[in-house]
Amino acid sequence: MSLLSVEGLGKSFDGLRVLRDVSFAVQPGQRHVIIGPNGAGKTTVFKCIIGLLSADSGSITVDGRDVTGLPAHARVSLGMACTFQKTSLFWRLTVEENLHLALLARKPYRFRLWRPLPWHADLRREARELLEEWGLWSRRDHRVGELSYGEQRMLEIVLALASGPRILLLDEPTSGMSPAETARAASLIRELPRSVALLIIEHDMDVVFSVAEHITVLHHGEVFLSGPPERVRGDERVREIYFSGGARPHA
Amino acid sequence: MTRATGTRVPWPGVAALALLVLLLPLALPAFGVGIATEIYVMAIFAMSLGLIIGYAGLVSLGHAAFFGAGAYTVALLGERVSNTYVLVAAAVAVAALLACVSGALFFRSTGAYFLMLTLAFAQVLFAAAFQAESVTGGSDGMGVSVAPDLGFGEISGELGLYYLMGGSFLLCYVLLRLFVSSPAGRVVRGIMENELRMRALGYNTFSYKLFAYTLAGGVAGFAGALYSYFNLYVTPDLLGWVFSGQALIMVIVGGTGTLLGPAVGAAFFIVVRNYVSFYTEYWALIMGLIFIFFVLLGRGGIVHLLQAGWRRLLAARAPRRPREGRSAAGSAKERAP
Amino acid sequence: MDLSALAVQVLAGLTYGMLLFMISVGLSVIFGLMGIVNLAHGVFFVLGAYIAFSVLGGGAGFLIALVVAMVAMAVLGVLVERLLLFRSYGDELGQVLLTFGLAFIIADVIKMIWGNRLQSLPTPSLLDFSVSVGGITFPVYRLVVVLVGCLLALLLWYLESRTRIGAIIRAGVDDREMVAALGINVTLVFAGVFAFGAALAGLGGVLGGPVLGMYPDMGFEILVLSLIVVVLGGLGTWKGAFVGGVLVGLVEIFGQAYFPSLSLVIVFLLMAGVLLVRPAGLFGRSPAS
Repeated sequence: MSLLSVEGLGKSFDGLRVLRDVSFAVQPGQRHVIIGPNGAGKTTVFKCIIGLLSADSGSITVDGRDVTGLPAHARVSLGMACTFQKTSLFWRLTVEENLHLALLARKPYRFRLWRPLPWHADLRREARELLEEWGLWSRRDHRVGELSYGEQRMLEIVLALASGPRILLLDEPTSGMSPAETARAASLIRELPRSVALLIIEHDMDVVFSVAEHITVLHHGEVFLSGPPERVRGDERVREIYFSGGARPHA
Repeated sequence: MTRATGTRVPWPGVAALALLVLLLPLALPAFGVGIATEIYVMAIFAMSLGLIIGYAGLVSLGHAAFFGAGAYTVALLGERVSNTYVLVAAAVAVAALLACVSGALFFRSTGAYFLMLTLAFAQVLFAAAFQAESVTGGSDGMGVSVAPDLGFGEISGELGLYYLMGGSFLLCYVLLRLFVSSPAGRVVRGIMENELRMRALGYNTFSYKLFAYTLAGGVAGFAGALYSYFNLYVTPDLLGWVFSGQALIMVIVGGTGTLLGPAVGAAFFIVVRNYVSFYTEYWALIMGLIFIFFVLLGRGGIVHLLQAGWRRLLAARAPRRPREGRSAAGSAKERAP
Repeated sequence: MDLSALAVQVLAGLTYGMLLFMISVGLSVIFGLMGIVNLAHGVFFVLGAYIAFSVLGGGAGFLIALVVAMVAMAVLGVLVERLLLFRSYGDELGQVLLTFGLAFIIADVIKMIWGNRLQSLPTPSLLDFSVSVGGITFPVYRLVVVLVGCLLALLLWYLESRTRIGAIIRAGVDDREMVAALGINVTLVFAGVFAFGAALAGLGGVLGGPVLGMYPDMGFEILVLSLIVVVLGGLGTWKGAFVGGVLVGLVEIFGQAYFPSLSLVIVFLLMAGVLLVRPAGLFGRSPAS
């Protein structure tokens, strides 16, 4: 059974149809990438899946369970986590405090009104483990605003992983990164545990083909093609979609 | 262990504050005790507004609705019931309920809409109290016929009321402090920092905000109840936006982002108002100018200025180091909201 | 129900509604375009009335007083926007607080200059009579106010749909940054819109003078009603201010006639009801996610 199943997703804004009958599935542990030219509706699909937008039609299923009507925060407890195209962190808090908030979300004591937060040792320990694993421990006391762009993007991924998700959605994780940072990010993504499926929206074709096990191509709000990388890479029409009206890319 | 951004209950500080409350009457002139009592009541009100503005990021121009509701509850119910605990509990409950209902309705709207809705809400209550003359006495207001009695006799003397209000202030401060540094309080602050990210992390931000708002409303209602006991008279303008605006001034001038800032602002406001109105009836003008000054200053209120000054003093006294000057300025910039 | 009394009530409601429209349109467009909730807008309304009061006291005619008041409010609007608000663009809370402080200050200044008593403007002698239509007597002045309101709506419709400035403002309400990026002189547009909104508030104040009277704290109370109009009608749209104004005006007048102690509550419930069905107001756009 698919981990995430999107069926017949449709969405319109003020009469403008943005998504039409979008369907695809993500298997457990799969690295699934969504590509498509600008305006294809990729970010809209993303927001519908995580619950920030409500779809007009269609359904979204996680592990056989229909989540279409659930608010965003409820989907997280079912194993969904995400990072955004525009980095979204707690700017004025330190790296460590950011992670504390992320980890707290799954703790039973998050509703407690007494016992100040730093007294919870398990929280601090888990935060430390995660930060060390991702090489951010040395930066733990720095406010997020002081981090480099690449470090911020990485921290966002760490925050998303803190909830122990079964599927991680990444919206253009390498956007705005230098080539070196992009390569590093791509290799980090490849090293993510197999227990977590990945649904990635990506523009950088090098990253796409180095990570993807399955690619869904979106065009004008519809699924144009969905299949293994070789099939997508070899399809002439895909290249045309991307570069219609423009020069052909170098091979 | 990371520093907890200074939010655990600073018991030495609380003790010092308690000592101050205890001994202040000795240092004040005769009329000063009454003013100090009023300041404690307003400080509680201002702290509750400071909670939602500075920790939940909800700017409300209608907070007086909850204060006035608490005050009127004591006044109205006090005509039939005289038990202080019952009256105060009722005041808090009514105010909290109003906050919960209005919050649930208004949170669907974003920042500016929310501001306008809270404003309108307070004015509606004001108009209701104003116009329901037979019940509330209309614009003339109504008297409060009960006196506080904690179980060992009526408290009616000036000094008795002073210690009652002062003690209540300390109690509220400690409670709010505990909330702010608790896990739930941290979540609320996270929501203020970045609500989108909090939702994406799995928090039901609506219920946390609603809880903070209800708590603040209840505390404001508590302040209103105390006001009834203190002033022995309630009028509709305790509900309206002019009074809400005054609380807002106290919060901004005192400093957002801290619990005591609004309390300091309340003291400042009342003292300046009393002082200025001695010379001219246009104290609102002066207050407005001071307020605008602080807003334009943009670096927080009195409390932040004091903190920055204190840090500069410490840095100046420390043994000379090449980066000394920069660190004082740097950390002052960090602290400002 | 007495038809004559009903008709007069409707006229009174429409009159009030037009006055609300005049003050609300500025508030709504200023908020939609610049993100500022101008809490001082109510005092623009009242100050306009007081300035006309002084001009009339100096012996000038109603029309002159009206023009002077509108110009004065426009100038004040520009001054407020340039000197006070432009520093804090981007800091929306700061802006709100500034306009709030300003409202307090101006209210006190009004008390200083004109005293605390209720005043009113004399109805212009030219229009101080009644007309009989179908057996019902209507005060002509109120008819004129309604007419002015409709003309204003027409003017705004024309400006919005037929002129460049209208397009710029509409675009600006949708996406502020984009407009600036297009190289349009945003400063000029902002100052102009603010001045225009203030002038309209002044217009409303002067026209309302004979009907509503004025007192220093009136600015706050009319502000609350116009906020309700803006929320109900939708932000950033003059149509919303028009329809919202008329609705609120009618409900308020009829409310005062039949449920005097609850009129504001009824208006508020009306607004809440509209918001439940259309969270962005009648004509407002739902914010893009």
